[in-house]
Amino acid sequence: MNKKKFLAMLLACVMMLALATGCGGKDASAPADSAPADSGASSDAGSDAGSDTASDSGPYKIALIQQHQTNAFQIAVTEAAEAKAAELGAELKILSADQDAATQISQIEQCVTEGYQAILFEPVDPDGLRDAAKNAADAGVVVINIISACTDWEGAGISAVSYGNNVKAGETEMQQVADLLGGKGNIAILTGPSADAGGLQRMEGYENILANYPDIVQVVSPADCAWDTAQAQATVESWLSAYDLDAIVCENDGMAVGAGNAAGANSGIVISGVDGTPDGFEAIKDGRITGTVSQNGGAMAANGIEAAVTLLSGGTLETNVLVTDNTWIDASNVADYE
Amino acid sequence: MKETKRTKALISEYFIFVIFIALVVVLTCLKPSFIQPGNLVNILKQASINGILAFGMMFVIIAGGFDMSVGSTVAFTGVLAAMLGQGQYPLIVPLAVAMLAGLAVGVVNGVGVAVGDLPPFIMTLGTMTAVRGLALLISNGKPVIGISTEYKAVAASSIFGVPMLAVFLVVIIIICSFVLAKTVYGRRVYACGGNLLAARVSGINTTKIRISTFAIAGLLAGLSGFLMTSRVTIGQPNAAESYEMDAITACVVGGVSMSGGVGKPWGVVVGCLLITVIANGLDIMGVSSHWQKIVKGAIIVLAVLLDIKGKGKKN
Amino acid sequence: MEYVLEMKNISKTFPGVAALDHVQLQVKPGEVHALMGENGAGKSTLMKILMGIYTKDPGGEILFDGKPYHAANPKEAMDAGIAMIHQELNPILDMTVYENIFVGRELRKNGLVDQKAEIEAAQRLIEECGLHVSPRETLRNLTVAQCQLIEIIKAISINAKVIVMDEPTAAITEREVELLFEHIRRLTEKGVAIIYISHRMAEIFSICDRVSVYRDGQYIGTDDTANLDETRLIKMMVGREITDVYPKLDADVGEVIFEARNIVRADQKVKDVSLAVRRGEILGIGGLVGAGRSELVEGIFGMQPLASGEIYVKGKQVKVLSPRDIIREGVALITEDRKVTGLNLSGSVNDNIAMVAIKKLLSHGLYNKNKALSASREYIEKLNIKTPSGSQIVGNLSGGNQQKVVIAKWLLNEPDVIILDEPTRGIDVAAKRDIYLLLGDLVRQGKAVILISSEIPELMGICDRIIVMCEGNYSGEVQRGEFSQERIMTLASAIKV
Repeated sequence: MNKKKFLAMLLACVMMLALATGCGGKDASAPADSAPADSGASSDAGSDAGSDTASDSGPYKIALIQQHQTNAFQIAVTEAAEAKAAELGAELKILSADQDAATQISQIEQCVTEGYQAILFEPVDPDGLRDAAKNAADAGVVVINIISACTDWEGAGISAVSYGNNVKAGETEMQQVADLLGGKGNIAILTGPSADAGGLQRMEGYENILANYPDIVQVVSPADCAWDTAQAQATVESWLSAYDLDAIVCENDGMAVGAGNAAGANSGIVISGVDGTPDGFEAIKDGRITGTVSQNGGAMAANGIEAAVTLLSGGTLETNVLVTDNTWIDASNVADYE
Repeated sequence: MKETKRTKALISEYFIFVIFIALVVVLTCLKPSFIQPGNLVNILKQASINGILAFGMMFVIIAGGFDMSVGSTVAFTGVLAAMLGQGQYPLIVPLAVAMLAGLAVGVVNGVGVAVGDLPPFIMTLGTMTAVRGLALLISNGKPVIGISTEYKAVAASSIFGVPMLAVFLVVIIIICSFVLAKTVYGRRVYACGGNLLAARVSGINTTKIRISTFAIAGLLAGLSGFLMTSRVTIGQPNAAESYEMDAITACVVGGVSMSGGVGKPWGVVVGCLLITVIANGLDIMGVSSHWQKIVKGAIIVLAVLLDIKGKGKKN
Repeated sequence: MEYVLEMKNISKTFPGVAALDHVQLQVKPGEVHALMGENGAGKSTLMKILMGIYTKDPGGEILFDGKPYHAANPKEAMDAGIAMIHQELNPILDMTVYENIFVGRELRKNGLVDQKAEIEAAQRLIEECGLHVSPRETLRNLTVAQCQLIEIIKAISINAKVIVMDEPTAAITEREVELLFEHIRRLTEKGVAIIYISHRMAEIFSICDRVSVYRDGQYIGTDDTANLDETRLIKMMVGREITDVYPKLDADVGEVIFEARNIVRADQKVKDVSLAVRRGEILGIGGLVGAGRSELVEGIFGMQPLASGEIYVKGKQVKVLSPRDIIREGVALITEDRKVTGLNLSGSVNDNIAMVAIKKLLSHGLYNKNKALSASREYIEKLNIKTPSGSQIVGNLSGGNQQKVVIAKWLLNEPDVIILDEPTRGIDVAAKRDIYLLLGDLVRQGKAVILISSEIPELMGICDRIIVMCEGNYSGEVQRGEFSQERIMTLASAIKV
């Protein structure tokens, strides 16, 4: 009997928690989002409003499905998309696929059913999401990739892509490091999860530059630190007791911060990252890392939203490949980007 | 004959220690810089957080449980500590809040397992997911930056060349070893894991004991979260991914039986150092991380194999 | 005050079952009071209510020392002065002897465990019980009997006014039983009351002063043992008369079917033992606990490595490296601890019966459920297994019926030689009798049976021949005509260290 009572209580707690996180999530991700998004929960009034907006020419219904919402880069995407949607008067719903392709596919299907006119998403898997995108496009929805693109995206009915170029970001970063080293020195590289597409492209960029600098030597094989600060910190600590390193090149800012913590402020070692996230900026300011390549996720999202609105209002795009530029940010200009 | 038997038993009990020494010798030969004081300090720093988690985990496993949620708890409490550690309060505030928050997660786990009769794996898998969500929620998914200089100094400073992190670990080791070996409570933790029913009919309040072990794991996860933030200088909601696995590995490698009732603190210390030394040594030798994963996996299986073999003989 | 403990009008209902129906029990200080009844009679349930493991239904009352008594958990019962030795062994295998003795009521000094005092106290208690183990030994390294004695020591050391002993002798041999009885007498002299649950008639009559009998959750009656005899007592328990406790069926003894020569185990637990059994014969193996009887058959069966020895089945030498090798030759071993090695307790009766002889239940190489069902049905009937259906979970059956399931599972494989290690341990009179009849029936079919038992009356009752072991050695053999308890005991303790 006791047990039953307890289970009931547990259930109640779980439900409360679910409610709380549900509300919280909505607040955080989509303040612009109103009734239609949760027409299931609200009464008939809500669904009426939903059908109204769908038939009206009024605010466009746009959905953005992010890969996940668990780091600064992705949160910048969320915030910029919201700002842009508000500016253009579009109604925006934001979802997170939590790095799961199956989730993302069902989210796309759901958005189509709910009558969204445009869907922007960052594919969790470049191949796995093609069919879902194609089906949505066939249903008359404007589909746009942001941050990265599906394989043969035009073939999948995707109208436009808005991304930074990871290869280019890698090139920018390594070029800066090479210049700072004067074309000569010992370096080490920290990578993201070994199979990550973005990471592999950045690595490709590194290699493109390194080909021009025979005197820059990788003294250890690149270490997979899975984007994780603590792991990067431990690895670099170990390295520094055995190797004389002139530079540590990292595929994201989180790992660069870890490397910077291990080396200490103003260590004389060039430490670089990619992304331009707040933790990276903080480390640039206090001298733990040298610089970072800003991948302007916010601009990618904003450009994507703008393209969607243009297409929905019957306009055409000058080009359907929108590339956001990379910028090298170091102590001299970090204040401009915060 | 009895003598050789005893020697054999002794070797089998301390086998993991032998492996550890052998590994240190091999690494030193391969790369002399491994044994440099500077690197030994690195090893201590790198072992500390996992070590503290492993000691919490040890209580849970000895009492017959299992805790998947400590990694998420580290992230959650780390973010909390970062938010409160911006210099607006004395350092004791983020420390206390982090530890209390960890304790709360632990108590929820313990109540679910001991009162709700849920399998520990399921219960803590649930909190693992939920607490990770909580960490993301309070931080809005972003790393929390801007912790105060004093807070950063907690992990960065050292006493007589011994890093502060290691001092924390040593204090925890001493307290936990004392509790397990000398107190009535410690004895009862072993009894619960050894045979829950027997403990119950012997008049032990097994519910309380089991809840308390989860609470200890949570408390130490909170402390780890506080230290983690100080070490990496930011509170990251996605940090400490799969740290629970490292803690469990340290325990199992150190001879803590997954079926409960067996385990010595010194074993966990060795288990934890062994894991750290493997990672550190392979890093120093510049071995690719793919190989590191393979080696780590092989060592876990090997250690458990030895554990089972050692027990099977007596039966 | 006449009674130290009075339980009146106690009822306990489990979902759908009335386990106890207004029963009573009155225990006088300083007496040994037997609780008798078949399995399922409600003795254990009554004792679990006393210990605070179960809660009784509302109504009824318990008086302890003349005062109303209620225990919410075992600790409260122990604090009040009531201790219990449980039927299911409860050692914590990975803890030492002294830790087990003091678990739940550790000795303290300055708030910490006083290890030294515990070891000293444990040493004293162990010596008093005539046991030869170190207090620092881990229980995993002890035999079942030694573990049981540790449980007894634990209960005695609580200094309770009432000690409940549920089948305390199930796993120990005569010599240790004597030591236990000495202890019980010493306790009763001090005014401690013992509630004694056992299926062994001989023990009831030798140690107990009074008997209360229960049947199917009902209280049948209480009487002095002096006024009772075995037949009357069994009649009270079973509700009908059973005169012949050890039925011995006649069978024709044929040629030697199984022989083991000069068996030496690699761990020296068995040193040079030979035995042979003929068709139609029941061979008993007697000896004290630790004499190496189970170790001998485990060695023969390939469960533990042998240093030397030859095994012949039906005249053919068999090389036994694993149990498979000898099972294939038609030998079955029904192990001592049915819960650990004999049964899948969470599986159904059908599944358990089908486990060994699964190859006989295939059609076209696939498991044929219908075959298994009919085989299981056949054996449920043949062995008189009391189960609502073949799909019942084995863990829910009584001990006697579980044992029958184990036997059924091996019989389905149609073995010619059946080795049973303590098959009647902890099961009630009627179920025991069923098993004896079954063994008689098997030898009548020309099979051979080897029976290990610690109960000498049982061996003498149904065996044709008994070999006796002592400390790993063969110490002698007795033919049915020459059976006597003294003779067997002498052989069992023949070799002194």
